[in-house]
Amino acid sequence: MGLESVVQAQVSPEIELGAKGVMSGNIEINSANTASAVSDFSDSQILLGFKQKLYNSWRAQMVFGMQFPDADSDLGQVFYNHVFLKLEDQKNIIKIGRSTTQTILNEFSTLRDDDAIQFNYSLNPFSIGSNTQDNQYGNVIEYTRIFNQRYWLKFHGENFADLSAPTDFELNSFGASFLYIVPESQRWNRNIIQRVGVSYNNYITSHPRYRNFNKLLKNVIGTITLNLKPDPVHFVDLKVQGIYNIGFSAINNLNSYANYVRTPSISTFGTIRYLYRKYERPLIQASLSLGYKSFSAVSNSRQEIGIANVFYRLGENFDLGFQYRYLNNNGQSASLFGKQDHRFQIALVYSINQIYNNQFDDRNTILNLEHNYIK
Amino acid sequence: MGNKKIKNMDRKEFMKHSALVAGMAMFPSNLFAKEAKTANEKLFPTSLPFLKNGEWKEFEVNIAISEQELAPGMKIHTLAFNDTVPGPEIRVKQGDKVRVRFKNNTDLNHTIHWHGIYVPWRMDGVPYVTQMPVMPNQEFIYEFVAEPYGTHFYHCHWGTLLHMQSGMFGSIIIENDDDPIKKAFPYEREYTLIYSAHDVNFVRNELNSMLERMKERSYLMKNGRFNAERFNLFNTKEELLEAIENGYQPPYLVNRRAPAELPVPNWFTVNGKSYPSTPYLYIKTGENIRIRLINAGTENHHLHLHGHDFWMVCDDGVPLPQPWQRNTVSLSPGKTYDIIVEGNNRGIWTFHDHDTRRVTNNGLYPGGNLLALVYEDLPKEERRVGGMSGMKMDNMDMLPKIALDE
Repeated sequence: MGLESVVQAQVSPEIELGAKGVMSGNIEINSANTASAVSDFSDSQILLGFKQKLYNSWRAQMVFGMQFPDADSDLGQVFYNHVFLKLEDQKNIIKIGRSTTQTILNEFSTLRDDDAIQFNYSLNPFSIGSNTQDNQYGNVIEYTRIFNQRYWLKFHGENFADLSAPTDFELNSFGASFLYIVPESQRWNRNIIQRVGVSYNNYITSHPRYRNFNKLLKNVIGTITLNLKPDPVHFVDLKVQGIYNIGFSAINNLNSYANYVRTPSISTFGTIRYLYRKYERPLIQASLSLGYKSFSAVSNSRQEIGIANVFYRLGENFDLGFQYRYLNNNGQSASLFGKQDHRFQIALVYSINQIYNNQFDDRNTILNLEHNYIK
Repeated sequence: MGNKKIKNMDRKEFMKHSALVAGMAMFPSNLFAKEAKTANEKLFPTSLPFLKNGEWKEFEVNIAISEQELAPGMKIHTLAFNDTVPGPEIRVKQGDKVRVRFKNNTDLNHTIHWHGIYVPWRMDGVPYVTQMPVMPNQEFIYEFVAEPYGTHFYHCHWGTLLHMQSGMFGSIIIENDDDPIKKAFPYEREYTLIYSAHDVNFVRNELNSMLERMKERSYLMKNGRFNAERFNLFNTKEELLEAIENGYQPPYLVNRRAPAELPVPNWFTVNGKSYPSTPYLYIKTGENIRIRLINAGTENHHLHLHGHDFWMVCDDGVPLPQPWQRNTVSLSPGKTYDIIVEGNNRGIWTFHDHDTRRVTNNGLYPGGNLLALVYEDLPKEERRVGGMSGMKMDNMDMLPKIALDE
């Protein structure tokens, strides 16, 4: 339990409240007759963080977060997606607990984070595919070293959820990533390259409890974000990410979800986005995303996805959105997921991020980046 | 011998010793030592040198973002004239022709307003009223005749609430060779004390936000894409009303940008420092000292001197027909007062804001604008305190300590 807490504590932490409500009406047209939804609030979440300075130059943070998963996710009404502690100073970050995993290296402008999960996430091979959270969140331990403010080297290990062994909390994945990221606060004096990154990940599928292939399941992720038009009023960027799932070439069919995530595959997903900012605030955003996934060991099988959306800001951080998603599965992937899917969504999205009892600055503010970092 | 001693120390002991020496340098144990007085001089605004160019006295002033330490261990980012907070003191004679070359080395807009000076209106430093703002990397030359004499100050008039709290202020003293104050109260030494108050969280967040906005605006300006609504700048009130009718929302509305709360200062400084970094005011028995008080902040300060009355001799630089004898003066924002302290009660006396909320650092007393008037001729025997029951303090050399938690 640590040392006793000070009852009459004089140090009150910074309190950060983050919340996002995503409410959509969905119309699904597909061969599987997936139900439409009059009110889909999945992906809505709330985060509560507490942060304070330590006795040295480090800072500590504790975060609790919960998310409302898809109704058919097998995760219950609420999923606790964040429960972690973080220690950080200017150049180091240590994180331990339940949090986002390193299965994606970029952020794409889809209505929900998991709208293209088969294309833009490295998929958890221990999952049975009943939900998307298995890929997005895990019990993690991470160390990040930041060089020259923009180069992020990260080593990470995870315990991904495995419904076949729900009480197993051993490390079942590890990897490393290296990213060049221009801080958001410096976006108006940046070059065309906003982000470049690569990661190498290993799933310990050789563990006896998991399906025994006697070797690691490996994948490589690469991403790039280009600011095609870094204009404060009419902004255009392009984000592309590729995932090479080295997989097991012995798996040459897609008869099961387990095979789907373990057979070698290459998926590419890209988004071109236009953002119109009025009065120095976002007003309209439109984006078009395309994705393609192929399976080298499975004959005549591929997947394609197209997502078009537009969001209009009604008020500070309150958006009205419309999204159309087209998914096409060919060959054996059609047997697994159905041939085609058209999804139309009209949505309201409200997100807030408030800091109370503010006491110190973030490493990525202009003052700290350009005018000496203050511990 | 000293070296030998150090050689015999182990590393831990040496570090302990070094830390002690460093601490002593910061807080001189002997207030009466020459080093302490020399260090103390640096806690007052330094007089800015000038170049004589014909009949003009020319000063160079620049503004940059700087890191300042309010109290040991407490650093903030500030906007600093010539890298100091407060800015350097401009000291001229009444009637001098003054030329100030002001260079903006930040990514923000600025001006300089000459508070209390009879400048030509185009030199008054009010953006969009008397001049265009001095934009990033630009220069502006202020020219005026130094009138009237007395204690005045200068400050930025762009984003005034933020920029003044961030450190953009300094004293301008216009001397009169025939100064009536000096005649009435002959003095040799004088001190300038500039008071301010800072909501350091507001300063940090707003500076960051403004720097980001300016990066955008600079980008657009460079491309010749000025937009009245985006820059919130209109030629006339009618133009503003028309824009509102057409859907423009002013930034002061809470659904646009306004934070809905005014900043609440949590640090209070004198000459850019909070206790225990604040300066001492040295005096001798029988001596008069002049203290020029300037309030460049947003708060009222009710300054009280222990053990003395003082003479309030000037109000906003103007000599009072009849000096007022008192022990507390209320220094409201934008005011300057000159006071004369007569050295007639030997000791070490506290001079502080009697609104004791301002004598705090981050809400903790003591701190803020706590100063001391120190008699240099305090005899050694008076520096000792007698014993207290239960404590071995007999004949202890009892100079002011650095108390941080009372």
